[in-house]
Amino acid sequence: MIKHGAHSGLMKRLLNPSSPSLYIAAVLMLIPVFAAAHNISGANARFVEGLDGPAVIPYMYLGAKHMVTGYDHLLYLVGVVFFLRRLKDVILYVSLFTLGHSMTLMGGVLLQWNVNAYLIDTIIGLSVAYKAFENINGFQRIFGFQLNARVAVLIFGLFHGLGLATKLQDLSLSADSLVINMLSFNVGVEIGQALALVCIVAILGLWRRRNSFQKQAFAANTVLMSLGFMLAAYQFSAYLWA
Amino acid sequence: MNSKTSDTVDLPASKGRVLLAALLAFILAAVVLSVFILPAEFNRDPLGVGEALGITGLSQPAAESAETVRKEEGAFLRDSVSFQLLPFEFVEYKYELSKGAGMLYRWSVAKSRSGEASAVSFDFHGESHEVEDYEESYSEGEGDHEGGTFIAPFEGIHGWFWANHGAEAVTVTLSTTGYYTESLEFRDGFVKKQALK
Repeated sequence: MIKHGAHSGLMKRLLNPSSPSLYIAAVLMLIPVFAAAHNISGANARFVEGLDGPAVIPYMYLGAKHMVTGYDHLLYLVGVVFFLRRLKDVILYVSLFTLGHSMTLMGGVLLQWNVNAYLIDTIIGLSVAYKAFENINGFQRIFGFQLNARVAVLIFGLFHGLGLATKLQDLSLSADSLVINMLSFNVGVEIGQALALVCIVAILGLWRRRNSFQKQAFAANTVLMSLGFMLAAYQFSAYLWA
Repeated sequence: MNSKTSDTVDLPASKGRVLLAALLAFILAAVVLSVFILPAEFNRDPLGVGEALGITGLSQPAAESAETVRKEEGAFLRDSVSFQLLPFEFVEYKYELSKGAGMLYRWSVAKSRSGEASAVSFDFHGESHEVEDYEESYSEGEGDHEGGTFIAPFEGIHGWFWANHGAEAVTVTLSTTGYYTESLEFRDGFVKKQALK
């Protein structure tokens, strides 16, 4: 377990959402990343395209890197585990998400589904906003109805997997070792997701112990919702004009 | 498994507060989109703020880069030629290209009679105008086709030597397009120069 100690002072300052400058800084920091992140970068793509046959480690690395640097997936995971206090629940939700995205990642690549990456990424952005809205109980408060959160995480997992599939399909995988490379990528995605989750869950755990968490949680999910809208709008703009 | 729809903490927020939060989230996203993302990423500036901030067109590709763009005055040319080579015959066909000029090329072999293409010996090379007797080989071997992109490393004549070492007559067909000015055919001791248009 992470102990309270020298780190908690720093943590306190970093995670003090009562200061608006934190949000502004976070939003501004995201902007330059928009252009570079998300797609598998040029040099990496050229490298794997130059490879013939099975390349377990390179594809695994790319999968993990895509997850760890893919802020859309990360923001969604933050939303998913935000209020999950029990490890059992974290594992349940993340397993449902993994089940969903693995099915469409493999299905999409194997059946060569030709979906538009920008539209899928728009839905992924909306999934972040959805989860944040769900976290502040928006569906129940405003519409009086809420889709079961476990079902929702599975469904959005399917969309996240389609997004992963489009990234992998961009690499023009050679047919002879398609399955092994795809599986390697998928395993890499799960490794990256596990690494990211350890950090996310640890930080949320520290934050949750503080008395002000309840109040700040509402604001944090509002910001998360806004980031989801931004991601969706960004991807939809790219669909229209890129 | 229980039947509740959420495993999350129930936040004590009123309907009005939730609506306000959703509205705020949406407005913040709309503002960041129109002030920063659209001008910087898509060169669209609905409010004119991007221009004032100097971020409009931030991610436009650089107009030209010395490494990837080389401008040419004239039009590029196309050329397509075929050579029939009897067993043990050879031919050389080259283009006049200045340093840095580009050319796309593809050649392939067909048997004169129907059947599978057979391989020829080839040597894709250049002879310099700048340094006397300087030759450089770019690609050589045996094959029935090759294609690619060529950027002339020096001013001179650049092209192919093909020799038929097989027992049957073959036809080599070459198609190119690029910024060359003339072609030279070397065959049976003669040089045939042709200005290309």
